[in-house]
Parts: sequence; structure tokens; C-alpha cells
Amino acid sequence: MLELYTSEPNTFFLKPLIALAEKHAEFTARYFDATGFEQFSDAVPAGVESALQLEHEGPLLVHDGTLVSSSFFMLEYISESLSGPSLMPANAYDAYRARAWGQYLGANLGWSVPVLGTAKYLQPHLAKLDAAWVNRCIAAIEPIERRVGWLALRDGTYTSAFVQTVRERLAAPVARVERALEAAPWLAGPSFSLADIDAYAMLRALPDLAESAVNPKVTPRIVDYLGRIAARDSTREALRVARTPHPERQFVPGTEVSRWG
Amino acid sequence: MSVALYHWEPNANSGKPMLTLAEKGVAYESRYLDLLQFDQHKPAYLAVNPDGTIPAMVHGSRVLTESTPMMEYIDDAFPGPPLRPRDAQGRWRMRWWMRFFDAYFAPSLSMIGWSIFIGPASRHRPAEEMRAAIERIPLESRRIAWRKALFNEFSAEELAESKRRVLFATAALERHLSRYPWIAGDTYSLGDINGFNLGYALPLSQPDHCNDTKTPHIMEWLRRIYERPAARETWSKGRTPMAARIKILERNP
Repeated sequence: MLELYTSEPNTFFLKPLIALAEKHAEFTARYFDATGFEQFSDAVPAGVESALQLEHEGPLLVHDGTLVSSSFFMLEYISESLSGPSLMPANAYDAYRARAWGQYLGANLGWSVPVLGTAKYLQPHLAKLDAAWVNRCIAAIEPIERRVGWLALRDGTYTSAFVQTVRERLAAPVARVERALEAAPWLAGPSFSLADIDAYAMLRALPDLAESAVNPKVTPRIVDYLGRIAARDSTREALRVARTPHPERQFVPGTEVSRWG
Repeated sequence: MSVALYHWEPNANSGKPMLTLAEKGVAYESRYLDLLQFDQHKPAYLAVNPDGTIPAMVHGSRVLTESTPMMEYIDDAFPGPPLRPRDAQGRWRMRWWMRFFDAYFAPSLSMIGWSIFIGPASRHRPAEEMRAAIERIPLESRRIAWRKALFNEFSAEELAESKRRVLFATAALERHLSRYPWIAGDTYSLGDINGFNLGYALPLSQPDHCNDTKTPHIMEWLRRIYERPAARETWSKGRTPMAARIKILERNP
């Protein structure tokens, strides 16, 4: 039995949906609205690791009773445990590169894309809801690191100057991906792999959230790359889970920014 | 193909590939970099790893610079005992905990370590020399870390938060090791190698919180790893008193 607990197909939630479609896997999608705090209901299972996982609001895969959390490792799990084409490059060095990209982009985009997305879309959405209810929902979130991502949407943290600084922090990871795509069509080896699923799910938001950083003029290869992945059958299939007209505008808090600065 | 490893002490990120290579029985050329002399930011090393982070492994023409994926590469590319569980569930658990170590536990533990050791050990230089050394660091995140360490800019609040996180993570690890003998489950794996490099000195640095009474499972786990020949061999390569801290794990000191 394979179940995926997912919210709208965007960022962390989009990754396993694409991977499962690449595998032509049969699974049951258990939908919840993460922008409405439904992930905290008893209907969503929780385990030691899923409660402490560093992406905080991500998807949860339940496979014959095993709870799998943390989106990049979920991609590896899907690749290894389900039949169908492997999503990890066969060559050991390309597999290293896939994992190194996962780590690098996780550290560099895993916090910044959700900050930009929630500041633009979730913050005004929450402001329309009953303030006392929202505050009660947030106050109940554990652990504190997970709660902080939501509190930032209520306490004025995301000033325009703050958001601009976050956009500027995108320069290094975006340049690194653009350089890599100058050398090869995919991030880790000769073929499409889970590294591309991982990167796509976060990068696809940037033409909207940070237009000056990702656009056809400045990053032509990233724009082409996003177009190639968007056109894949698996991506189209993944997006069918959506219940809103614009899943690409649905964001929830992600990993926290490095405490080292 | 030859293997060369650029590393500092058997500790934290440097120790991860060192212990992994030793467990696999892979001979490698050791290229020691002195972190406190900023060897990792000098042109000779930046030619190998432009990010200026340690460790880096060169296998033939391949260069690897991310320590946790590097461990999986070593397990993939070389013969020797497998260091990952056979089942996908165990491998997922191993990877989940390695990320928890790398991204949650280690940054807080190292902030404390940098404030009490790395900073004071490097701070004897003139301020101008330290500023110039910081300017040569390629990654902004590392420049910030070194600036804080060299000019003692860690605030009381962030050190207190790091301490809180270390205790929280220590408690989570103790609970985990009360359920499983090893990080991934039933077998020793890269997850244990990663966790050992992070935590081997916890009984020394956090004696009130990591000891035989409060965290018996962590203590036993650390000692079992310390008793492995590969760990003995790896920590014997240490050149500073930092590596000697491992003696705290002797059962009969």
C-alpha cells in the first residue's frame, strides 16, 4: 500500500509527485491544505522523523506502514523501492553529483524560495482569515523551529528590504545552476534524474518570485531547463493533484535559514 | 585510480571520509590542511576546491567536495564491506539522520566549538592580517563564520540557542538509539560514521548532559564505534589535542 500525503503540487510537495509519475506508480493521494493548517490534524500520520524533519511542512510518503519524510531522501526512496526506471544516475560519480546538488540546493533554495513565496502569497492569505484562529493554530505548532516559520508571517519580519536581501542571496545558487546547464542539459549525468526533479520543484517559482534573477536574458539555460521539465508527461501528471487554479502560488514555510548567517 | 584526500583533523566533516575510507580498506594519500593556518583558503587548495571548504577527495580525475555525498560515493565506488543497509527503508533512515546531524545538530555544536576553540586558537594574529584572511574566503557563508570566530562576534543569545539545540538533539539521538542499535537500524552504516564524527567528544564537551546515567545508549554506541579498528586507525592520524579527546571513550581509562 502506497499513500502520499500532499498539499498543492509546488516546491517540496511537487517532488515525489513527479517521481511517482516517472515510475508509473500506483498510489493514493491523501490531500490536505497546508496553508490551512490541515497537516496538523490527526488525519495525517506522524512519526519521530516526520515530526523533526527540517523541511517542516513537506509531503509524507507511507509505504506499507513505513513513514518516509524529507523530500530529497523521499526521491531516493521512491527510486530504490518501486519498480520502473531508476531515477538515480547509474554511475557512482553522477550519483554523487545528484546528492551533492540535493544538499547544495536544499541549503540554498530550501529556505529562500519558501520565504519569497510565503511573503508574496501566504501572508496576505492568512491576513484574510480570523486572526485569533490563525494565532491559535500557530501557537500550537511544535517544535519551535517549525513554529518560527509561521510566526515570521505575522510579526512583520518580511519587510520589503528583507525580501530584497533574500532575492540577492539567490545570485550564487542561480549562477551555479546556470553554469552547470551550460556544460550539460541535466544536472547529474547524461540523463534526467532525481537531481532535476529536486531542482525543478524549487527553481520553477523564481521567474515569478525573483524575476530579475531568473529570466530568459540573464539565465537562458535555466529558463530552457524549466520548460523542458514542465513539458514532461510526469510533471503534467503531478500537477493533476492540484485543487486550486494556481498551485504555483501555493507556498508554506520551508527549512530555516542557516543560523551561521 | 589513485585516491587523495585533503582533510584536517579526524573530526566533523574531515573525519567522515577518513573513517569511511578506513572502513572500506581503501588506501589513500593524506593531504593534511591546517584549518587554523587557513590552508584551505590558499591558492594551491582553491585550485582543487574553489569553494575552499574541507574535505575534498580526488579520485583519478574526479573531485568531490561535499562530505556526506562523498561517503556514499566511497561506498559505491570501492570494494569492501557495504556501509549502507540492504533495504531501502534502512537507507532512507540513514540518510534522514545524516541530514539531521549535518543541518541541525552539527551547526549548533560547531558554533559552540568555534566560539571556545577555533576562534581563540586563531585570534593571536594582528586584526589586519585576520581581515585579509577573511577576504580570501570564497563563500560568503564561510566568511561570516570566520568573522564571527576571529572577532568573537557570537552573541550570548545565539550561543544559548545553540546549547538548547545541542541538548534537544542529544535527547532525540538518545531516544533513537534506545530503539535501534545503530543509526540506520540493525547494521553499522555511514549514518554511524557521520554521527560519530559529530558526537565522539560530547561526553567531554557536555559532561552534564551526555554521560552513562543520562544517555546510556549514546555512550554505548560511541564506545562500540571507538572500538572498531578503522576508528582507532583514523583517530591515530590526528595531529592536535583535538583528536586525543577520543580517549574519553576508553572503557577502562
